[in-house]
Amino acid sequence: MTRALRITGLRVTYGPVVAVDGIDLEVREGEIYGLLGPNGAGKTSALSAIEGLLRPAAGDIVIGEIDARAHPLQAKAELGVQLQATSFHLSLTLVEIVRLYAGLYGVTLSSPQIRELLGEINLQNEASKRFRELSGGQQQRFSLLIATIHDPALVLLDEPTAGLDPQGRRQLWDRIERFRKEGRSILLTTHSMEEAQAVCDRVAIMDHGKILTVGTPAALIAAHRDDPKVRQAAHGEVTLEDVFIALTGRELRD
Amino acid sequence: MAVPTWSSALKVLLRADITAQVRTPQSLVLTFALPLILLVATGLGKNSAALGGPAFRISLGLTVGLVSIGTVGYSLAIARDRDTGVFQRLRVTPAPTWTIMVSRWIVQVGAVLIMAMVVLVVAAVFLGITLPPQDYLFTVLVTLLGSAVFLSIGQAIVGLIASADTLNAAGRLLYVPLIGLSVFGNTDRLGTTVEMVSRWSPGGCLETLLSAAMGATAWSGQSWGALFASFGYSVVFAVIGIRWFRWVSH
Repeated sequence: MTRALRITGLRVTYGPVVAVDGIDLEVREGEIYGLLGPNGAGKTSALSAIEGLLRPAAGDIVIGEIDARAHPLQAKAELGVQLQATSFHLSLTLVEIVRLYAGLYGVTLSSPQIRELLGEINLQNEASKRFRELSGGQQQRFSLLIATIHDPALVLLDEPTAGLDPQGRRQLWDRIERFRKEGRSILLTTHSMEEAQAVCDRVAIMDHGKILTVGTPAALIAAHRDDPKVRQAAHGEVTLEDVFIALTGRELRD
Repeated sequence: MAVPTWSSALKVLLRADITAQVRTPQSLVLTFALPLILLVATGLGKNSAALGGPAFRISLGLTVGLVSIGTVGYSLAIARDRDTGVFQRLRVTPAPTWTIMVSRWIVQVGAVLIMAMVVLVVAAVFLGITLPPQDYLFTVLVTLLGSAVFLSIGQAIVGLIASADTLNAAGRLLYVPLIGLSVFGNTDRLGTTVEMVSRWSPGGCLETLLSAAMGATAWSGQSWGALFASFGYSVVFAVIGIRWFRWVSH
């Protein structure tokens, strides 16, 4: 299986603080890969480095066959990105935002094509609204549309279901599932272990800037089932969340 | 997937930024209403002549427009988009990062040019203040230089102040001295020290240059000094603003 993303020895620092401490990671083609970790584990910093938003202190990032550090613009053209807190020009309509981002990726769309795309995410009646006038679920759907407007092979999603109601989450996961069926690879972060267990092909659990373990949810559960900490965390059948708590601890993070 | 050229990226960014600028009521007020109100208001009252001649009225209107657009409006818009994550979203696209900011600058310079045209047309048509043709050209050129000065001051503010709320307050606070200093450059009513500071302030230099461009005063050594000082202000504030600018506010 070919890989969509390979990261080796990635290190991200903010002054003396090490946010990402030399992680290795590989996302395969057509795979949904979950990057899990408590707040401050380094997930968003790792994604930001892949997205080209910050310069890593060390390490290699290869997207498809492109060295992202040597050719950042080419690498960005291959990526679809949904940031944790996304906003668009406040006074532009949805149609204008779609036209802007399509243009930035070199995609030309006619007005009927844009309306068709908005129709696919049930926003055809909101075409002339501003982004801030949308509900949380509509904003997430629209952000995902913008992230994939150029048909990227690899999509990065930073906590895509945060703040969504169950219906919104279900719709989003259906859409993500559709991406996988179309052959795209997805790297996402989430705090929902239940969702990660249900949807991700593989997950990496990260804490203090390091990857603690990687595998399929089922394999991770099987590997840690007999760990006393996991058994202590479990209420009944062992879940991915029990493994997560056992590996990253129970203390609250900021 | 091919990377779009910088020119095509700049083109779509410009289209979006122009639309956003036109749709923001606050920016329209800052762009046109304030300069025009001052242009008209300075001609009212019995003692209005004491403030200065027709050239002074035009130059004050232009200076207010430049400070409003370049320093206050620009820095607030940048801070707001930085706070809400608009820039981060743009930065993950394959558009070269510099095109994001250059597009904003071009829109602001365009707004300044339109403001200058409107002020000059209103002055000529409604107030009867006309200039020889070459003076219109010089006035527009000086206004362009002024836009560089006040945009770079706006860039420096947004580079040094991370929080949009703090920047909002600082922008409003700076508004008064930037315009006030430009007013008192031609009078020693507040003392020679204030006059000296005022004359060599960014607004004061602009007043000197506009006055010369409109033929109200002869081009002199002081005009040259104001020209060099304006270039200096542009470079220094731009370097500060670019060097310390952050794309995120936290």
